[in-house]
Amino acid sequence: MHRFLPHTVNHWLAALAALSLFAGWLTTYSTLGAAIALTTLCILAIRAPHSKLALPWSRPRQPSTPPAPEPPAPVVQSVRPPRPKKAKSGAKDSLVEQMVDQGRVALLLRPQIAANLSDIDLQKAQDALDNSMAMVPQGQVAMRPRCYEVLNGDTPDRAERLIQVEGLFLDRYAVSNAQYLEFVSGGGYEQMSLWDEALWPAVLTFVDRTGQPGPRFWENGSFPEGKEDHPVVGISWYEACAYARWAGKRLPTDAEWVKTASWPVFAEGNRPAQRRYPWGDAMDRRLANLWSSGLNTTVPVHALERGASANGVVQLVGNVWEWTSTSFGAWEPPNRKIETQTPLKSIRGGAFDSYFEMQVHSQFQSGENPLARKHNIGFRCALGFCDVVQMTDGHPAHGNDQAAQLQEVSA
Amino acid sequence: MRANGMLELDSYRLAAYTVPSPCYICGGGNNYDAELCRHCHAPMALAHQAMTQKIHPRMIATIGPSGAGKTVYLGMLSDMLSRQDEALQLLARGAFSIRLQQHAMAALSQCEFPEKTPNEPDRWHWMHCQVLRKKKKPAELIMPDLAGESLIEEVDHPNTFPVIRAFLNKCSGILVLIDAPRAEAGDNDEDFQTMKLMTYLCELDADDPTGWKNRPLALVFTKADQCEHCFDDPAAFAKRHTPGLVQQCRERLKRYQFFAVGVAGAIGARNEPHGRVLVPLRIEPRGIVDPFRWLLDELDTMK
Repeated sequence: MHRFLPHTVNHWLAALAALSLFAGWLTTYSTLGAAIALTTLCILAIRAPHSKLALPWSRPRQPSTPPAPEPPAPVVQSVRPPRPKKAKSGAKDSLVEQMVDQGRVALLLRPQIAANLSDIDLQKAQDALDNSMAMVPQGQVAMRPRCYEVLNGDTPDRAERLIQVEGLFLDRYAVSNAQYLEFVSGGGYEQMSLWDEALWPAVLTFVDRTGQPGPRFWENGSFPEGKEDHPVVGISWYEACAYARWAGKRLPTDAEWVKTASWPVFAEGNRPAQRRYPWGDAMDRRLANLWSSGLNTTVPVHALERGASANGVVQLVGNVWEWTSTSFGAWEPPNRKIETQTPLKSIRGGAFDSYFEMQVHSQFQSGENPLARKHNIGFRCALGFCDVVQMTDGHPAHGNDQAAQLQEVSA
Repeated sequence: MRANGMLELDSYRLAAYTVPSPCYICGGGNNYDAELCRHCHAPMALAHQAMTQKIHPRMIATIGPSGAGKTVYLGMLSDMLSRQDEALQLLARGAFSIRLQQHAMAALSQCEFPEKTPNEPDRWHWMHCQVLRKKKKPAELIMPDLAGESLIEEVDHPNTFPVIRAFLNKCSGILVLIDAPRAEAGDNDEDFQTMKLMTYLCELDADDPTGWKNRPLALVFTKADQCEHCFDDPAAFAKRHTPGLVQQCRERLKRYQFFAVGVAGAIGARNEPHGRVLVPLRIEPRGIVDPFRWLLDELDTMK
C-alpha cells in the first residue's frame, strides 16, 4: 500500500489536479475545478523539464558551437544508467583496439587524446607501444663521415662529430607489407593532409604494377602472396613520411638511427665506445640478411632477432635499407662533399643485396633520391618521448612528473 | 763444368731457347721463359698451361665503349662466382688471374670505382679460370679486361692492336657492354660505338658456320640501377634507346639477347685535385651472372 502513496511534490501536484477536476464535476463548479487542475499541471511542467511531457521551451538549451565533449566518465558514472554506459565503453574499446591493430598507438598516447582514455585503454595502448617500439635514451653519439675508414687517423677530414640525441622510441621492426596495407586501404594515398602540398602531383604516380595506389611491386593494391610479414619496399621517401604521419610517428633522424645501432657508451674520456654492428663489433653473417647470406631476397621483419641492437631493435643491419629524415652527406667534411644530380636522403643499414660488409655497419651512410622506389629500401618509424604521454603508476604523468621521468630514463 | 752439372743445364736452356714458344692468343713465337708475349703482351702462362697441362681454354671477350663498365663487371662477376658455393663457380688459374678481381674489389669496397684500364696491352688484366657447373664438365675460360679506348682505336684503325684482333678472332662468345644511362639520355655516341664494334666483329669472321653470325652475343646494359625500368625489359629498352644496334643485331646475328646489370645502387661525384671523380654510394650487384650464364649455355649448345 505504501508504494502507491505519492512520494514527491510532483506526485502531490498530479493528484491535486485530478482531485480538483473530480471535485468540480461533483459540486457543479466544474470551471473552477478545471482551472485549478490546469494551474497544477502548469506547475508540474515547470518543475519537471526533463520529462517527455514537458513543454519544449522548458527543456534545457543545448550549446550550438562547439559541441561539448562527452561528459567525463567518472563524473557521470554514478548517475548514468548502466546500460548506455556499457554501450559507449564498447564503442571506445573497439576504436582503441582498431587503432592498436593498425599500429597507430602513438596517436592514442598523445597527451591530448590520452587524457580522454580510460585507464584500461591507456594501459592497452601503452603495452602496444612497449611491444612495438624500443626506447632509446637521450645522449650523444659520434657521427662519422663516409671517408672515416679510408683516411689516415691524423687526417683532419676524418674528424667525427658528437651529436646530441633526445630520447625517443624506435620501431622494433621495419614496417611490414601488412602494416602498410592498413595505410593503403585506410585511404592513405587519398588523405592529402598526410602529404606535403608540393608533392601532390607526384602522389598520383605512386602506384603499383596495376596502377593502384601503393608500393611499386604490389599488384591490385595488395602485396605479393606470402609476403605480409616482409618489409614493405618500393616506396619513396615521401610515402614513408606519409605513413609515419598517418601512424602518428615520424622517420628517425640519421643520428637517432646510428645511436640505436651503435649504442654509444661514454666510459672514459670524451669519445664514446660505439658498436660497429648492432650486436657487437664483429660481423656475423648469421645475424643479418646480406648478399653473403645467400638468400637474395627479403626475410620477414621478425626474423634474425639474435642480430638485434642492445635495446631490441631487429634488423637494423641487413634485409632492407631504411629511409631516415636526414639529407645524404650531412656528415661529410666540406672538401669531400659528394655531389649528386638531385638532393638525396640518407639511407642506413644495408639490404639483402649489400655486397660488402664494410658498407653495412652502423656508421655507413648511403643516399637515394627521395622519389626513388627501390626494391631494397624500406623504413621504420620513430617517436619522440615528448610526443607521447608519460605514465606514472599506470596514470598519465603531467608537467614536472614527465620531465623527471625522462631524466630518469636518460640517466 | 761437367762435374757440377752446369753443362747439362746450359744445354737444356740453349735447347729451350732455340724452340720458340707460341703465344696462346696471337701465336707469335716467344722465349720459353717470357712472362708476357712480346707481340701481343698476353700472359705466356696461358701457352704454358696449354702445352704442359693439355688445357685448351675457350675465350670470352668483354667489349664496349670506354667507361661502359668492363672492369667493374668482370671484377664483380669473378668475385661473385668465386665467393660462394653456388651452382656456377669460377676458380682462378694462376696468380695473374686474380689481379683483376683484387683490383676491382679493392676499389669498390672503399666506395670508389677502379682506375681506368690503361691502353697499353702489357698492363691489361687477363683472367684464366675454371668454370664449375653442376652436372656439367668443368670448362676453361680466358676473359681479359680490354681497354675501351684501345678497342675503339682498333675498330677505327684495324691492326693498331694486333692482340685485340687475334683475341676476338678466337673468341667463342662475347659480352657487349652498353652504358644504359648514356643511352637513355639520348647519347647517340653510345649507339654508334656499339654498332662499330658489331660491324668489326662481323667482318672479322664472316664464315657462315663458324663466323660471328652464329656465335652468341650477350648485349648487356650496364649501370641499369640508374634507370630502373631497364631491368623490367632490357630488349624493350634497347628498342627505345639504341634502335641502330637492335637493327644491326636483327640483321647480322642469330644468337643474341639483351640483359641489364647494375653494380652501384646509386652514384655521386666528388671534386678531387685531378678532376671530378664518380663514386658509388653503395655496392649491390644486380643481374651480373645472368648474361654470363646465358653465354655458357649457348656455348654448350654450340658443341
